[in-house]
Amino acid sequence: MDFTLTSDQTALTDAIDRIAQQFDAKPTDFHGFALSGAALEHQLTEGEYFDIALIPEFGPLTAALAVERLARSAFAAEAALSMLVRPQLPGEWPRPVAVVESGRPGRFVATAKTLIVIDGERISLARPSPGDVEAVESLYAYPMGRLVGSPALTKLSAADAANVRKWMRVALAAEAAGLIQAAIDSTVEHLSIRKQFGRPLGTFQALRHRMAECAVLAGGVRLLARKAAFSGNDGDAALAALHAQDSGTRMAYEMHQMLGAMGMTLEHPLHLWTYRIKALLSELGGRGGQAQAVATHCFGKP
Amino acid sequence: MEFDWTPEQLSFRATVRSFLAEHLPPNWETVAHGPASEVQSEFADVFCRKLAEAGLLVPHWPARWGGRDADAWTAFILAEEMWMAGEPRGGQYMNVNWIGPTLMRFGSEEQQQRYIPPMAGGATIWCQGFSEPEAGSDLASLRTRADRHGSNYRINGQKIWTSYAGYADTCFLLARTSPGKNGISIFLIPMETPGITVRQIPSVIGEGDIHEVFFDEVEVPGTAMLGAEGQAWEITRTALSLERVGIPRFALASLMLHRAVDRLKKAGRYGGGAIEQSARAHAACESARLYSYNIIDQRVRGIATGPEASAARVATVSAERLVGEFVVEHCPEALAGGEPMLQAHHQRAIVAGIASGAAEIQLNLIATELLKLPREPR
Ligand SMILES: Cc1cc2nc3c(=O)[nH]c(=O)nc-3n(C[C@H](O)[C@H](O)[C@H](O)COP(=O)(O)OP(=O)(O)OC[C@H]3O[C@@H](n4cnc5c(N)ncnc54)[C@H](O)[C@@H]3O)c2cc1C
Repeated sequence: MDFTLTSDQTALTDAIDRIAQQFDAKPTDFHGFALSGAALEHQLTEGEYFDIALIPEFGPLTAALAVERLARSAFAAEAALSMLVRPQLPGEWPRPVAVVESGRPGRFVATAKTLIVIDGERISLARPSPGDVEAVESLYAYPMGRLVGSPALTKLSAADAANVRKWMRVALAAEAAGLIQAAIDSTVEHLSIRKQFGRPLGTFQALRHRMAECAVLAGGVRLLARKAAFSGNDGDAALAALHAQDSGTRMAYEMHQMLGAMGMTLEHPLHLWTYRIKALLSELGGRGGQAQAVATHCFGKP
Repeated sequence: MEFDWTPEQLSFRATVRSFLAEHLPPNWETVAHGPASEVQSEFADVFCRKLAEAGLLVPHWPARWGGRDADAWTAFILAEEMWMAGEPRGGQYMNVNWIGPTLMRFGSEEQQQRYIPPMAGGATIWCQGFSEPEAGSDLASLRTRADRHGSNYRINGQKIWTSYAGYADTCFLLARTSPGKNGISIFLIPMETPGITVRQIPSVIGEGDIHEVFFDEVEVPGTAMLGAEGQAWEITRTALSLERVGIPRFALASLMLHRAVDRLKKAGRYGGGAIEQSARAHAACESARLYSYNIIDQRVRGIATGPEASAARVATVSAERLVGEFVVEHCPEALAGGEPMLQAHHQRAIVAGIASGAAEIQLNLIATELLKLPREPR
């Protein structure tokens, strides 16, 4: 049990941090919903950061740390699935990677080179051609897209499908950990500055306690995500994803509530994080789906 | 960063488990109905001496005081196994966790020679005289007075919620020697000193746990003071930082959650809402576990623990709450004689957010120290 980063992990997270810092702030003149960064994508590709999980000194845990950090940037790149799920796919599959679950729109689907297509228990992979996918407008703060064509599907074996589900859970939890942290940081800043009744809002205990509870949840999501990335255990992954979706659900409400009307604007960056969190809440069956997985993997079959 | 145990840690845990298997009586679970009940206190007295003989009572203490200088992981693994087994050490866990170490750090030579060896031998029970009827969370407002009379102090006042006071040999007492936060001093007082009266408070949490302790003209020598006059705040801060993640509550909560789920499955009652609720409770237990391990890791590295310890407490409180709620909703028979360990756990769990500092106080600390929100006006 060791909670400090190794020197390799520190070196890598520092490098990711240096890149991410350039993309942390929302441009003041950006008033849209989805903010994605081609330049961020380019730098991560150039540095071969999408493949770090495959390098023994790093492995999936370090990849999860990178995903967590990148998720705190205002600009989004498709990192979580590329860094944590793609290395698990059987054979060579190009990135960006996106998920199409039960035919619903998904993040980065319109630009994905590999699709993970989930239909009930069945998971297949596809290489969509440009006409197979299209972009959709959404509130979710990621570029969203949907599958409109019928690309050839490569069905995964049950074992591979289970493995993909597991790493999707880890990816979801790591990404949520970063998003939740960014949402908290943004809210803390507001509560420290905004005054009502002659005092900063952050001095009111009713808000302080809720923020503190959220901070505890956020730390829990981070720890569970890291543990799951380290162990690659099905139960750990299910617990991490459940705690992430559970905490994310609460966080998305609480953070907006604390910001008042300011949180409703596209000027303030909060929506970037809360609506990305919301995009993750429905994945893999939502909380009910993760709970079933916990029941199967942690409590054994009923 | 890694989340595995070392082979030594695994083997130590196995040693503790086999010791428990060998020394706990077969009907242990049905008698384990309160950490300070008569049966359990009597058992603890014998059990702790055996633990001490086996080198399993204070392994993390310095060799000079009967330990083997083992690290904080050893102490915590021990604490997990004991708590999961229904804390067969009774009140002595406090000696092991913080009273002994506090005396080693702040005690006089005479105090150390007198009090530490019996603790290391598993032969003594202490109680913690902090809270008062008017001083709970606002501990600094305590009123019990210690007035100097020549070289002695005369103590008058009342303590409340004092655990284990019925069986304790010695009290770690906070009393006021002058006004203000820095006017509080610590006294180590034998409970047989004339003028001390102990009254048990009947409670939902089990027999013998909480008491009122009255001090009526209790005269003690100046040498009973721990540290200097007015040093109580500084000393207890150190002591209680050890206590904050002191009890690995998540470990028993998780064990009882699994037991409740097994029970439901056997009865064909595990489905629907129970699945989601049990999964959520499990995630809360594992979150609390990792938070606590993070603190122990800091302790091993000599990093001063900050507000993360409060976060670990809050995570633990929520784990206890979710497991408790799950049992009440889906295994109601547990609180009606159906499963004594589940009931015993429930009784211990409901105090998680109150004993050793209320959860709301921890939330305040997290808001200020972890989130760096501006302070509340006073
Ligand atoms: C099982 C058990 C064993 C105990 N054993 C011991 C023992 O051995 N020795 C000992 O000295 N004490 C012991 N205690 C007492 C314990 O330390 C106190 O209960 C605790 O400090 C809280 O004090 P209180 O009960 O007076 O609650 P109060 O301080 O009256 O608090 C009641 C509620 O108000 C909230 N509150 C108080 N102040 C604030 C604030 N500023 N902001 C927001 N909310 C606030 C609290 O969080 C709590 O929810 C024990 C308690 C229990 C339950």
